[in-house]
Amino acid sequence: MTGSGSEILLPRRRRRRRSNWRGLVYIAPAMALVIVFFIMPVLFTGWMSLHNWPLMGASRWIGFNNYFRMANDTRFMTALNFTAYYTVIVTIAIFAIAFPLAIFVEKERQFVGAYRTIIFLPVVVGLATASLLWVWLANVDSGFIGPALKALGLVEKSPNLLATFDTAFLTIVVMVVWKIAGFTMIILLTGLQAIPSELTEAARIDGAGRWQRFRHLTLPLMRKTIALALIVSVTGSILAFDQFYIMTSGGPQNKMISVVYYIFNQSFVSFNLGYGAALSIVLLAILMAISIVQLWLLRVGEERP
Amino acid sequence: MIKRLLAATSIATLCLFSAASAAENVEMWVRTGIGDAFKKVVEAYNSGHENKVVMTEVPFSELVQKYATAIAGGQAPDALSMDLIYNPAFAAAGQLEDLTDWAKSLPYFNSLSPSHVRLGTYQDRIYGLPLSVETSVFAWNKDLYKKAGLDPEMAPVNWDEITANAEKIRALGDDTYGFYFSGGGCGGCMIFTFTPLVWGAGADILSADSKTATLDTPQMRKAVDIYRNMIKKDLVPAGAASDNGANFLTFTNGKIGQQSLGAFAIGTLVTEHPDINFGVTLIPGVDGKPSSFAGGDNFVITKGTKKIDAVKEFIEYVYSMDGQKIMAKYGSLPTRGDIADKVLEGLDPRMQVGLKAIGVAKTPYTLQFNDLINSANGPWASFTNAAIFGEDVDGAFSSAQSEMQSIIDSGQ
Repeated sequence: MTGSGSEILLPRRRRRRRSNWRGLVYIAPAMALVIVFFIMPVLFTGWMSLHNWPLMGASRWIGFNNYFRMANDTRFMTALNFTAYYTVIVTIAIFAIAFPLAIFVEKERQFVGAYRTIIFLPVVVGLATASLLWVWLANVDSGFIGPALKALGLVEKSPNLLATFDTAFLTIVVMVVWKIAGFTMIILLTGLQAIPSELTEAARIDGAGRWQRFRHLTLPLMRKTIALALIVSVTGSILAFDQFYIMTSGGPQNKMISVVYYIFNQSFVSFNLGYGAALSIVLLAILMAISIVQLWLLRVGEERP
Repeated sequence: MIKRLLAATSIATLCLFSAASAAENVEMWVRTGIGDAFKKVVEAYNSGHENKVVMTEVPFSELVQKYATAIAGGQAPDALSMDLIYNPAFAAAGQLEDLTDWAKSLPYFNSLSPSHVRLGTYQDRIYGLPLSVETSVFAWNKDLYKKAGLDPEMAPVNWDEITANAEKIRALGDDTYGFYFSGGGCGGCMIFTFTPLVWGAGADILSADSKTATLDTPQMRKAVDIYRNMIKKDLVPAGAASDNGANFLTFTNGKIGQQSLGAFAIGTLVTEHPDINFGVTLIPGVDGKPSSFAGGDNFVITKGTKKIDAVKEFIEYVYSMDGQKIMAKYGSLPTRGDIADKVLEGLDPRMQVGLKAIGVAKTPYTLQFNDLINSANGPWASFTNAAIFGEDVDGAFSSAQSEMQSIIDSGQ
């Protein structure tokens, strides 16, 4: 007997309850995944963060001491500042590169497929692999960049790019933009292509110039796409770790230690897993706050006519 | 049916028993860059014994962290060749087998490298014994000396001489340099090659009880000046500033005139780079008195391993005359003082310099070696990088001094 026949006879309330229950069954696998792989680890991390939890040996309950400790931890504050600085620079740089590229490859023209492929190619390289590649490129003796600059006569001596903060930071930013811009471009490209061509046509007929069309048509319609790309870029940058670990070991002189790198150091170099957990919880809170603000800004925009 | 089941069980039990008494595979981790000595002694042991040692090399900057994580996850190897400086920390954490009784029963216990035994001891119990002994020494390239018009047989005895020689060698041309050190982010390299400059002059970076950071001394300032001066005069390849230890053996490329190295490098040079004609002497201190770092590895046994007897059998082989000779042939100094002369008999005379260095060598004893010294993000590594390559020397001294102290204090 199928369910539908008997359902008709059931009172309204019960029927609704049953369909709720059925809905739960449908989402149960997804919920199980979220509980096992997200909620439980977060709860466990929270639990750890209330302990003095060495990597080896027994743990001890210390309440919120790990959180109080953060307030006086200048190295953590430095890492936060650096991460914020890095996030702003990288996000701006990625947009400055990816947006024009997206516009460039949007129109159907000769070789456009090849352009798209070339720009997207670095995205499929792993971040660790890309970092190692750039370590080699930036090497003062055997690399490519320094000797090339020297050969072009731009510098007198091949520079050791990873040895000073400014050049090492620049190298990492360029590497990350090279690696990520293609991905942002694809997101933006999808948004651009979703704009109905009738609208652009109409605007053109009404006498809107290229810039006016971009400013008053493309940008407002791209709002959601840009927000998505922004959230992806900001979240990714705040969680940055591999490039600093591989390319400079956080140096020179510890000036490039991101928050995640600091958490890694506390957990697996100093073996303070409890403190590392507390830092992770704070980072999670920061990320959630930033994402909520970004999503809220997006919604505010939608309410406008 | 029951009969058959019984039979199967007893056969299975028999198999278990025979497996227990049969050959065992001892899993052992070592750090990369330890040189050939340990590999060769493992090969020799494996070819002559029923038990086998399965060796896994782990990058030396990651060994401590990997081992600690493996212990926490219950995946640790049976034994580990551990940089001796970490021994106190792991012993204090209660993760190592207590070897006291066995160690003291060894007839040559009292002649084992004392610095290693000291670092292997925690609260009067012994958790580690010497596996390989290394000291840091100063090497110079005789061919480059000759080319630069220097006497290739004359070992420099102070840093003025080293600097002057470096200038002459640098004058030879483009990619020939007078001096090299792994300075960028390699705290372990710099404690090994650079602190002897201040130790020789009677200063240290930690107080004797390890509770006070004593980085900012006139001796250390002088040592920093010596290195800065060589950087300023372009006597050191630019890559030194970002070298995390990966290029520690740059001397082997034949284009470096002088470099402080580990004694293990003598073996590596002799066996793998026979074309390099080099001399070895002690590292001069800033006032001329030489010093050295007594380094190398202790072996430790992970608490709870079932293969403890097999590990001991292997170690007793390493300590035997045969084992010691193989180790020495490939660059590790003798761990047993009682047979040191016999072990080094007929070997490269430069090994004697490494042995002599033991007499003046120091090893700091602290539970926080990784945090303070070896971590690429520790105060020592950033201090040497900032003080030698940076603009603000005073700032480097004061921030490293206070950061070291705060790490020490937080660990009390």
